[in-house]
Amino acid sequence: MKRVVGRILLYAAVLIAAALVAMPMYWLVVSALKPSSEIFTATPRWLPGRIEWRNFVNAWEGAAFGRYFINSVGVTAAILFLQLVTSSLAAFALARRRFVGRGFILFAVIGALIIPIQVTFLANFITLQHFGWLDSYGALIAPFAASAFGTFLLRQAFLAVPDAIEDAARLDRCTGLAFLWHFLLPLARPTVVAFVLVALVAHWNDYFWPLIVTNRDQIRTLPIGLAMFVSQEVTTDWNLLMAATLFVAGPVLIVFFLTQRYFIRSHVNAGLKR
Amino acid sequence: MTAVAAGASTRARARLAPYLYVLPALLLLGLWNYYPLVYLIHLSLHRLGASAPMPRWVGLTNYRELFANPLFWRVLGNTAIYTGLVVPLSIGLGLALALALDQRLRGARLLRTLLYTPVVLPTVAGATVALWIFNTDYGLANYLLGLIGLPPIGWLTDSEYALGSLIAVGVWKTFGYFMLVYLAALQSLPQSVLEAARLDGARPWDRFWSVTWPLLRPTTWFAIVIALILSFQAFDFVNIMTQGGPSNATNLLVFYVYQNGFQYFRLGFAGAIAVVMFVLVYTLSGLISLWYSR
Repeated sequence: MKRVVGRILLYAAVLIAAALVAMPMYWLVVSALKPSSEIFTATPRWLPGRIEWRNFVNAWEGAAFGRYFINSVGVTAAILFLQLVTSSLAAFALARRRFVGRGFILFAVIGALIIPIQVTFLANFITLQHFGWLDSYGALIAPFAASAFGTFLLRQAFLAVPDAIEDAARLDRCTGLAFLWHFLLPLARPTVVAFVLVALVAHWNDYFWPLIVTNRDQIRTLPIGLAMFVSQEVTTDWNLLMAATLFVAGPVLIVFFLTQRYFIRSHVNAGLKR
Repeated sequence: MTAVAAGASTRARARLAPYLYVLPALLLLGLWNYYPLVYLIHLSLHRLGASAPMPRWVGLTNYRELFANPLFWRVLGNTAIYTGLVVPLSIGLGLALALALDQRLRGARLLRTLLYTPVVLPTVAGATVALWIFNTDYGLANYLLGLIGLPPIGWLTDSEYALGSLIAVGVWKTFGYFMLVYLAALQSLPQSVLEAARLDGARPWDRFWSVTWPLLRPTTWFAIVIALILSFQAFDFVNIMTQGGPSNATNLLVFYVYQNGFQYFRLGFAGAIAVVMFVLVYTLSGLISLWYSR
């Protein structure tokens, strides 16, 4: 009997937490679907009386969302590509080669993990100013071309590949970069996927850095575009604002729901290793 | 003869190769992660910005002005309150939910996904929804207050509540991460120890405090350090939801740096704040690590 009561209390607590988390997301979707007449009501309506699909069209045309979308896709893709190249090369050397200074270099990579952009952004802004790159795609991409996190993660995965495989590959004349491409990366696939997903979410969502380095509307990414749209529209059409919010949140949520087991794997190791 | 030379050059190339592989990553991390630390200290000792287009050496003036500025202490206080509440709340909530989901609840997988969703949701999206829900006149939050007979409040416009609202959003956004970290740790605990405690007849509550909690110690250390670093970085919600207001009630350190650097164009002064922030975060993390490795 006591067990049953405990079980029920446990369920109740978890469901309350889940409701608190889900409520804002529910409200986001429902508000995006409501006609304007149902937004400013004394008693909020939990379900739209009529679904207004035109909100998405009006929001999309309310700012250069098409442009922002293309920019976000391009910038995120460029960052991921560069990070994968630089991280897998460095991880390959750090995991599978012995050379003077390896320990020090590994230490430097791990150290870079804990230097957040909020500390480096002033200096990086001035560096980009010297390069004359401010307000360009280069400014959005270059500071993220390498990833300490990715290098570290891939190194751990490459370490786990048995030496016997490398010896066998060498007999087939598959060495160096060919070995990295044909053996290490495919064998480390779960880690590669997890890293790509985490980086994808981080850079697709990034608000802080694009805010610092962009001024022109043509190169703004979705998060900045949305924030600008909000600051111009505020107090008026909440249904359009919520529809625009879904342009930013939608893609990342779809990716998350489709690939969540990789996400969960990307985090599980974090707390175990000191 | 040529064969020997070829062999030597292959060996030389093999010896050189690892350096070439690490070079791109190392140069980039050096330029964008390490050089800024050095440059930041240099910057903080100069005047640079609207009043001085070329950097001019001013020694410790920026720091002296900073420590004499009442707003800096206000911002530091706000950041301390924000961090002091977001860190224990998000970790505590994460741990509690991880313990609950670890009980093989029906639908645990679905709940786990749902509870983690705010972590991957863009901060801009979360901030926009929060603006709407906390809207004084038509927001859902005030409607719910009305249902239990309370008068509406200015969640983001009243200096008494604005920081609390940001804290609530901050916890909402991050606790799912700690939940997953704890869940993974719980599932890798040695089952034999837990089983032994159960056979000894230890009650669930005692079992938690005497067995599970000590075993989770490394995880808790990791969670506290990460939560600390994350909450010191809080910026997006501040900039979108309150702009540090009303009357600096929600002005937090990173926003203060941003404000001085990019709104008042006092880059040297902003540099000094960033240096102080960096020293503070890492001194605190270091102290926590020391305490945990006793």
